[in-house]
Formats: sequence, structure tokens, C-alpha cells
Amino acid sequence: MTDSDLITDGRAAGADVPVLRLRGLQKRFGQLHALKGIDLEIRRGEVVGLIGENGAGKSTLLKILTGIQPADEGTFEVNGERARFRGPRDAVAAGIGVVHQEQSLLLHLSVAENIQMHAADAGDGVRLGLYRWGRINRRAQKVLDQVGSKLDPRWRVSDLTFVERQMVEIARAVAAGTDANATPLLVLDEPTSLLEPAELAALEKEIRQIARLGSVIFVSHRLDEILRVCDRVVVMRNGEVVADRSTDAVGEDELFELMIGRAAKAPEREVRAATGEPVLEVSGLTRRGAFHDVSFAARPGRVVALVGTSGSGREAVCRAAFGAEGYDSGELKVAGRRVESWTIPKAIAAGLGYVPSERRVEGMVGGMSAIDNLSLTRSGALIAPGKQKQQASEWFERLDVRPRGPKLELERFSGGNQQKVVLAKWLKDQGLKALLLDHPLRGLDPGAGDTVKREIRTACAAGIAVVLLPDTLEEALEMADEILVLRDGGITAVYDVAVDAPTTLDLLEKQL
Amino acid sequence: MTTTQDGAVATGGDRAPAPKDPKAPAGPLRSRISPASLWRTVGPIAVFVLLLVVVSVLNPSFLGGGGVTILATQAAAILFVALGQSAVLHVGSIDLSNASIGLLAAMVLALTLGPLGPIAIVLAIAVATAVGALNGVVFAVTQIPSFALTLGTLGVLQAAALVLSNATTVYVTGNTDLLAWMFGSAIAGVPAAFVLGIVLAVVFWAVLRFTRVGHGLTAVGLNESAAIFAGRRNRLLKTLAFALSGFFAGFAGLVIIAQAGAASSFGVGSDLLLPAIAAAILGGTAITGGVTNPITVVFGALTTALLPIGIATLGINAQAQSLAYGFVIILIVALTATRSRTAIIK
Ligand SMILES: Nc1ncnc2c1ncn2[C@@H]1O[C@H](COP(=O)(O)OP(=O)(O)OP(=O)(O)O)[C@@H](O)[C@H]1O
Ligand SMILES: [Mg+2]
Repeated sequence: MTDSDLITDGRAAGADVPVLRLRGLQKRFGQLHALKGIDLEIRRGEVVGLIGENGAGKSTLLKILTGIQPADEGTFEVNGERARFRGPRDAVAAGIGVVHQEQSLLLHLSVAENIQMHAADAGDGVRLGLYRWGRINRRAQKVLDQVGSKLDPRWRVSDLTFVERQMVEIARAVAAGTDANATPLLVLDEPTSLLEPAELAALEKEIRQIARLGSVIFVSHRLDEILRVCDRVVVMRNGEVVADRSTDAVGEDELFELMIGRAAKAPEREVRAATGEPVLEVSGLTRRGAFHDVSFAARPGRVVALVGTSGSGREAVCRAAFGAEGYDSGELKVAGRRVESWTIPKAIAAGLGYVPSERRVEGMVGGMSAIDNLSLTRSGALIAPGKQKQQASEWFERLDVRPRGPKLELERFSGGNQQKVVLAKWLKDQGLKALLLDHPLRGLDPGAGDTVKREIRTACAAGIAVVLLPDTLEEALEMADEILVLRDGGITAVYDVAVDAPTTLDLLEKQL
Repeated sequence: MTTTQDGAVATGGDRAPAPKDPKAPAGPLRSRISPASLWRTVGPIAVFVLLLVVVSVLNPSFLGGGGVTILATQAAAILFVALGQSAVLHVGSIDLSNASIGLLAAMVLALTLGPLGPIAIVLAIAVATAVGALNGVVFAVTQIPSFALTLGTLGVLQAAALVLSNATTVYVTGNTDLLAWMFGSAIAGVPAAFVLGIVLAVVFWAVLRFTRVGHGLTAVGLNESAAIFAGRRNRLLKTLAFALSGFFAGFAGLVIIAQAGAASSFGVGSDLLLPAIAAAILGGTAITGGVTNPITVVFGALTTALLPIGIATLGINAQAQSLAYGFVIILIVALTATRSRTAIIK
């Protein structure tokens, strides 16, 4: 009784009560100590950036805050009240809205239904257990407007693109957070790694806006973005908070060092001349409604980057080149030979590899061990466990995959480490001639990003042709020898970086 | 490591490049087997052993009085059909027709063993495999859910069996000695038919573990899209799983003839479908796909066969027996069934 009196007193004290206060949170997975005692406070109206290497424990922390996993030790308070979440629903009721690192929409329901399902209370959208579609749709519309999305709430989620789905996730979290009448706390786990520049700008604006109502915890691997959006940045390393800085007092380089434990290397790049016969040649490739008249050549040792916004069709071109999707006209030449009825097994046999952007759905078999994932593309009838294991250890060492447990199921690794394994799956093949990389750095921390970029360069140096769909224009400028800009399915500009390197502005202009 | 690294790193501008490896989890992590996957292997065996102990205590003469032989004899046909079912469950589908394929194989054998001799045995297995493969091809091409498709095949096969047998019992007319070894010889009291089942289970296990095709089947069962993007021919693999289902069912056909010397749509072997599904699941096969251990399925089959024997020793009436059977099955499945870690249940 006195307890609750105290709490009411605390509330009355008003703005001084932190929205969130963590005390000594700990979490173990078997012998892995994922969180080693986290203390943290989030104040009202604050946007706090949470950064850290892949596997530092960011997602684990957020999962505890959002009621998905219990902590082993430690407590936390939401708006001054001790939180005992038994499930995600309790977190929503406390005003915590979340966008997880992996998408979690129900594909066969509409946008509005997905938003409705996560709300703390059904509001007037449901009466006597019946859906009132008009109200549900209007409510969803309001939230979508709030986050600056033009989606129709009545659309089915399965018809949306990946990026559009991400906007729905964000809208849903905003709705959940603001519905509860407490001060809302929005938790975003790498929401931007999937977004294109234009949508990014909209989201950043939205985050600032929510900060006026409540608070935001924002995980991202893009340090520039963190500095732009956040008031404060918390750095995690190896399950501990190692730094807590105001963004006014810290720079990108320092953050990098705090995260990784070593200084950032200036991007090295050498421009290679266009030599050698193309490994993969695309000419006049067209698929109605997706892309038209796309031509380019991927040559040994060179990186071709395709840039464009989410409707540009570059992903579809890439998938067509790998045999995963069809095309209506135009031609595809591999090693100088025109290919017909192109399929994935044929593409792989010809030495192509593809890293898809939807890693968990298309890139990996989560329930299989990392070793088995590595050997999934192997040819030959038998599998030699000894050799497999040795190869896996080599690649784990080389790409610094953590933890060094190739026998663990791949889904138990953090996102960034999963991506390294997905990449190694192709790199390990002796016969690899061309790599198609659809957002290969997605979800990687800057240190891991460096590792992966280095591996891409090493592969290039060894004579592999690379087609890259980068996350950012900076990445394109850093990595590519040739940049193609796509808009609405057609090429609007081609730059040979050795001859006329474009600026980011040039590239932006051509894609909008 | 316990000092806050913040100060050290932030002020240590002149420090030597930070050690390459300041993070604990970077060291080799001994990937111990997780309790869940350990139970996956041990559970089905433990449940069987426990049940065997209970039965032996209730009926002390069970083990001494040739109980093992009786048990293995009862379990043989179930085992073959369960292995086939596991192959299909492994790729994330289900085959409701495979017990009927076994019966069809028995029918073919009953009709041809006399005139054709050893060729009849090959023929029976070939027919069963072909029907299974046909299931697979139709499944792969039309993409009809396997549940619906094989329910249809089940009906067709039952009709075919009725036509073949003229709705009566077909007796083998000769050459019965060709199958006499199945239950006529035994190793340590275990009839050869069941030993054959164990051998096939081990081979199946090795295929899943050590071959590219086996890994492909697993990958398709766990995440079909990712398997496709790794260049695995998912439809071919699924067809293979259904063909395997037919192949194993063919052996169940041999068992039926060896046991009964005759085949009919209503006699011995006409009620194998559900026990075999139960055996696969009791053997740790996940109905969501990708998790199958043929060796523990052997124990699943034994448990399935032992249950009615055990319940009969309780000396209760027939209705109460099937009631008890139902409850115990649910209980054991709850203990042993392999579920995904998330709370999703299909
Ligand atoms: N369910 C689990 N079982 C076992 N280990 C786990 C589990 N979930 C996370 N881990 C481990 O806990 C550690 C922290 O993972 P977490 O996902 O929190 O990292 P993260 O900081 O979000 O990384 P990323 O930037 O790559 O997303 C990792 O080493 C990971 O392998
Ligand atoms: Mg994470």
C-alpha cells in the first residue's frame, strides 16, 4: 500500500522521473554472458542512440525491455514503476512500442490490421468483439500520416515492398507507444538499415517529433545518423555499457573507436582499369513493370554498383541475373555465352553467388549450424565433416565471426555475424567468378563492415567480378569502379569512377 | 576487463592499437549440445525404456516369455511406414497415403509372389516407390498442399486395392519361403524384419548426415527459400522425399505378407497410418520439418507398439484401453515432440 503511494508521489514529481531506468540487467545464454549488468537511464523527451558491435548485446537488451525475454538478474522501471513484463503485451500497455531488427508483420493481413493488433487496447475499433473496419482504417491512416508514409491502410502487407513494410513496422510501434497514456517510449532496433535515403529523412524527422511526446531508443550502425538524430549516445561492448556521451561532445571517429576498440581506417581504394572479358554481361534486359533496357558488364576484379531508390528496380535486375526471377526480353551472357532459361542452380554452377538482402528469409537456414550453412552451396555427393569443420574454422577466423562456434545454429548468432557466414558461404568456393551483393553491409557494425569490405576487395583482387547494391551512396563511392544509377527501372546515368567520379549530389539528382 | 573501458579508450590516444581481441566471446566457444537437442535424441529412447520397465514390472513374465520378439514383430510394419513418414515430414510435408501404399505393395506381392517368385518382391517395392514418386511429382508440379493431395491419393489407393483384391482377401499361392526369413530368423530374439528396419534407419540417418542430398532435404524442411537461393533443387528433393516414403512403405508390404500370408483392404496392415505418424513424432520428428533422426524413430515405433501391449496387461476392458492409449500418446508426445523454440505450433 505504502509502495504504491510512493509511486504516485514519484509521478507527481513529474519530469524528473526517468521514462526508463535500468539497474544491473544481466542475461546469459548458456555460458555466453550476453549482458553483464546494464545500468541506464532514459529521460523524458530524449533520443538516445545505442551503438555497439555485432553481438554486443543491443538486441538482447531491447528484447528484455519489450517483454520478449526475461532478464536473469536486475530490474528496470518504466515511468518510475517497477516493470514486470510477462510478454510483449505488457510492454505495449506500459507505452513501449518497438521495431525489431527482424520484421514481424503478419503478411496476409492488411496494414491497418497489423497496426491495430499491436495496440494496447482495441479502442473503438472493436465493439463486442467485432471489427469496425472504418475506424480501424482511419486510425491506421492517422498513424501512417504521422510517420509520413503514403501507404493505404487497406493494402495487404504481402503486396508491399520490404521498405514499405518497414514503414508499417514503424507506424505500428508509434501507434502502440502513443496509445498507452503513459509517456511513450519508442524502441527502434536498426530500423534504418533497410531504408533508402529519402525514407531515411522522413524517419529522422519523425523521431524528432516523437521526442516531443516521449522518448526514443534508437539502434543503428550508421554513426553519422546517430550523431544527427540523437541527443545522447550509449556505447555497448561485449555486454557492457562502455561509454555514455552527449552527441555534442563526441565525433564519428571517437565513437568508432569506443565501439570497436581501434581507430577507424581511412577508406582505402584503388581504382582498377576495365580489363578482362566480362564474366557477366546484361544487355537490354527488360521485365514489364520492373525494369527496362538495362545493360552492364561485370568484369573480373571490378565492382559495379547499382544505385537507386526503392522503386528503381535494381534488386529485380540483380535477381534476374542470378536466375531467381525471370525477364521478358534482352539477354544475359555468362563468360561470353548467351544463356537461356536461367535458373539458380545453373547460375551457381557457372560461378555466380548472390547475397540476398532478406537474410533471414533467403540467405540462411537459421535452424542449421553455421558449418552446414557454409556447405549448402557445395557440389559433390558426400560431405566430409572433418574437412567441413576445418574450413569453417578458417573462415570464422578470417571474418572474425563471433562467437567462434561454427556448430551453433546460425539463428543464434547476432545479425552481423550471420551476415559474415552468409558471405563466407560464397567466398569459400574456388569456382566463384562473380558475386551479386544485395545490401551486403546491412546490419553490420562499422568494424564488421570494414571486415566485409576488405573481403570484397580481396575477392576482387583475386579476379572476382562484383555487382553491388549498396546501402548508401557513400558506400557506392567508396567501393565501386563503375556506378549505374537507376530510376523507375531504367538506367539514368553511368559513371566510370576512374574517369569521372560523381559526387553524392550527382547520384542523388539522377535517382530522384 | 572489469575496469570500465570507457576511460581507457577515450583518453588513451597514445595507447598501442587496442588488442585485437578485447572481447570475451571471441574465444572458441565450446559448442556444447544444448539441453533441447540432447533431449531430442535421448527423449524417445528414455520414454521407451521407461515404458518397458513399467510393463515388465506389471507383467514380470513379459521379457522372459519372448516379449521382445512379440514387440519387434508388432513394431516392424509400423517402423517402415514411420521411416517413410519421417522422410516426408522432414521436408515439411505429410504423406497420408503411405500406409495405403504399403498395403498396395502387399496386394501386388500376394498376387504375384506365386507366379513370379523373387521378382515379385522387387516389383512390390518398385510399385510402392513409383507411387510415392508420383505423389511427389504431382505435389511439386501442382503445389497442392501435401495434406490435401495425399488424402486424395489415399482414396485412390484404397479403391485400387479393392479392385485388385475384388474386395476379398488375396492369399499368396506359393513361394512363401522367400519371405519366411523375415520372422523365421532372429538376432538376439529380434526378428530379421525388424533388424532390416534398423539397418535402413541407420542408412537413412547417414544419408541425412553425410550427403549433400541429405543436407538439401534438411535445408528445404527448415527454410525452403534459403535452400532455393543456395541452388538446391527443392522440387526434386521433395519428390525424392515422397519416393522414399513409398520405398519404405514397400517394405511394410513385405512385412504384411510375411506375417499374414495374405493381403486385404481390412486385414493385417490396414491400420498403419496413424500408428506410424505417432511413431515418427514419438521418435522426435518435428512436423514443422527439418528435424528428423531415423534412429530415434526406431524407438518411436517400439513405443507405439509397446503401448497397447502394456495397456492390455492392465486387464481393463476394451473401451478403457483405447481411452488410456489416447491419453498416454498425448502425454508422451508432449514430452518428446520436437517443437520450434518459438511458441509457434502447426
Ligand atoms: N537466443 C539466443 N541463444 C543464444 N545466444 C544468443 C541468443 N540471442 C543472442 N545470443 C547471443 O548474444 C549475443 C548478443 O546478441 P545481440 O543479438 O543482442 O547482439 P546485437 O548487439 O544486437 O548485434 P547486431 O548488431 O549484430 O544485431 C551474441 O553473441 C549472440 O550470439
Ligand atoms: Mg541486434
